[in-house]
Amino acid sequence: MSAPTISVTAPGATRASHGLWRDALRRLIRNKPAVLGMVCIVIFIAAAILAPVIAPYGPLAGTLADRYQPPNAAHLLGTDTQGRDELTRILYGAQVSLQVGVIAVIMALVMGGIIGAVAGGVGGRIDAVLMRIVDVLLAIPGILLAIGIIAWLDRGILQLMLAIAVTYVPIFARLLRGSLLALRESDYVTAARSIGASRMRILLRHMLPNALTPVIVSATLVLATAIIDIAGLGFLGLGPPDPRTAEWGTMLTDARKFLTIAPWLVYFPGLAIVISAIGFNLVGDGLRESLDPRLRR
Amino acid sequence: MALLEVRDLVVRFRTHEGTIFAVNGVSFDLEPGETLGLVGESGCGKSVTNLALMRLLPKPAGHIEGGTVSFDGLDLVSLPESDMRELRGKEIAMIFQDPMTSLNPVLTIREQMVETIQAHRKTTAKEARVRAIELLGMVGIPKPETRLDSFPHQFSGGMRQRVMIAMALALEPKLMIADEPTTALDVTIQAQVLELLRRLTTDAGTALILITHDLGVVAGMTQRINVMYAGFIVETATTADLFAAPSHPYTVGLLHSIPRLDETRPQELVPIEGTPPDQRRAPVGCPFAPRCAWRLPVCWTDNPPLVPIDVNARLVVSGPNATHQIACHNPPTTEESTAGRPLREGFVPAPPPGSVVEDLAPTEEVLA
Repeated sequence: MSAPTISVTAPGATRASHGLWRDALRRLIRNKPAVLGMVCIVIFIAAAILAPVIAPYGPLAGTLADRYQPPNAAHLLGTDTQGRDELTRILYGAQVSLQVGVIAVIMALVMGGIIGAVAGGVGGRIDAVLMRIVDVLLAIPGILLAIGIIAWLDRGILQLMLAIAVTYVPIFARLLRGSLLALRESDYVTAARSIGASRMRILLRHMLPNALTPVIVSATLVLATAIIDIAGLGFLGLGPPDPRTAEWGTMLTDARKFLTIAPWLVYFPGLAIVISAIGFNLVGDGLRESLDPRLRR
Repeated sequence: MALLEVRDLVVRFRTHEGTIFAVNGVSFDLEPGETLGLVGESGCGKSVTNLALMRLLPKPAGHIEGGTVSFDGLDLVSLPESDMRELRGKEIAMIFQDPMTSLNPVLTIREQMVETIQAHRKTTAKEARVRAIELLGMVGIPKPETRLDSFPHQFSGGMRQRVMIAMALALEPKLMIADEPTTALDVTIQAQVLELLRRLTTDAGTALILITHDLGVVAGMTQRINVMYAGFIVETATTADLFAAPSHPYTVGLLHSIPRLDETRPQELVPIEGTPPDQRRAPVGCPFAPRCAWRLPVCWTDNPPLVPIDVNARLVVSGPNATHQIACHNPPTTEESTAGRPLREGFVPAPPPGSVVEDLAPTEEVLA
């Protein structure tokens, strides 16, 4: 799904003079909350990518003698229960959140996209069956579904991604189906049929690219919730299988018992989760507003 | 042999609110290269007739319930979908009403034109591109090679309709269906686009079905006209005959509801009273009876067939000598059609069956 997304953006970018995408970008940059969100995202992604370079210590390095140090010059954010540097672990934690979050959303996009495309493109009985399956998925609370999947498949990074992905499949499936259904009656789809284009071609070339805008917006918003879900599952002890892995949720659950003597161990990972989630939320909202042609100024 | 033979075409829509009787037995012929106008008000079945010919009725509601459509010797009603797809664009092309929405906003003009060409011809992208430039030049787009990579939103409405015409002509179809091609355009552009359409179809020998509610459009464009009302053809004639001697009360009504500039003295506009019938009901009697000033008692119960005005005339269904036919029990006389109302001494339109004789304003409720 990521490949078609890129190829869709590409022709948009070439309509240089007064194109839809350029207008959207201009509006996005004028939108102050969205810019703040972009700053948050840049910090988050930079932390994830540059962690091995900028982190002052190794993510697992530390001695028990150094534990529970409050923030100081040597350890800017203090040290944790094992004497490991908190800042280092938060930077490395961004890696897990970014990697798991992005891959999980891509997986959800692909699965939900295929279901939605088949349902909206083919219609009829297949549509009805697929949408009932999606309804069943929606009826189960997301976090419960994720816990169930991890319980079933055992703990692991891949399982974590899959568990989070499955909970977001219904969102993308419904969204894409809805857009496609609306497009099916559009004049240019009838026009494409009138020149003898095949069904598959109409779906892939004429309908999908036009249906992707809301999907891109909601993928951004879903990424924010996915980051919170990762931390939530980590907090419940269902995060990465190696308990030493620096992961924000796991760090929170480890620090929970020492809240009275080392409160910074809760504040900083919590802050990291909030900043990254708010970043994607603000950008998602900004994208929705800037891509909506009705708001064109 | 006729290029297109439509016989007793019946199209219905099955909806949640019941069956819509959209087209109720339409028959007409079209010679190769002939131009035919299909005239009627909104909802009279003119667009549905043509979507049915293309087998592009909205699914699953729309159905061809009966009749035959023969195109170039092929039965279009029973043709397999894959063969039908081969036919669309290549043999029969279509131009839609609104050029603003008939082009895909995310694809360039080149991509859409090349797609049309390559859908039916094995050519390289380069050859298709050359052909696309040639076509854009033909429809009067200046500097076509520079405009080819533009997106639809960079064109004006008239330009887009020119692009649509270029795409429709790309494969030299035998039949072109233009569904209200100028309705969405500025008046100043309408004439240009119509002239372009007329010239290009004449040059290519393409038969043209022009759907419109505007009698002014068909007057200069077509050789023959079918007037449709509520899913029936109520009058058919050559364009000259139709304007010289409109003979169905509906056609008379249509002509009297538009102002004309070529009249020596100003004529009174006579609107057609009432609204078209509810097509969710099976038609009983003449569909125009409730609005007709000439109706007889028989009009309420019996739908007249389409027959030649001159009963002794040899029936010619297409070409320049086509017989003037109407479906009417009580056609207006020449004087009456000029006046736009019945002139006979003491004539009153027949009241709907079962109503008081004085009630001269029948409503649909009474009909039911």
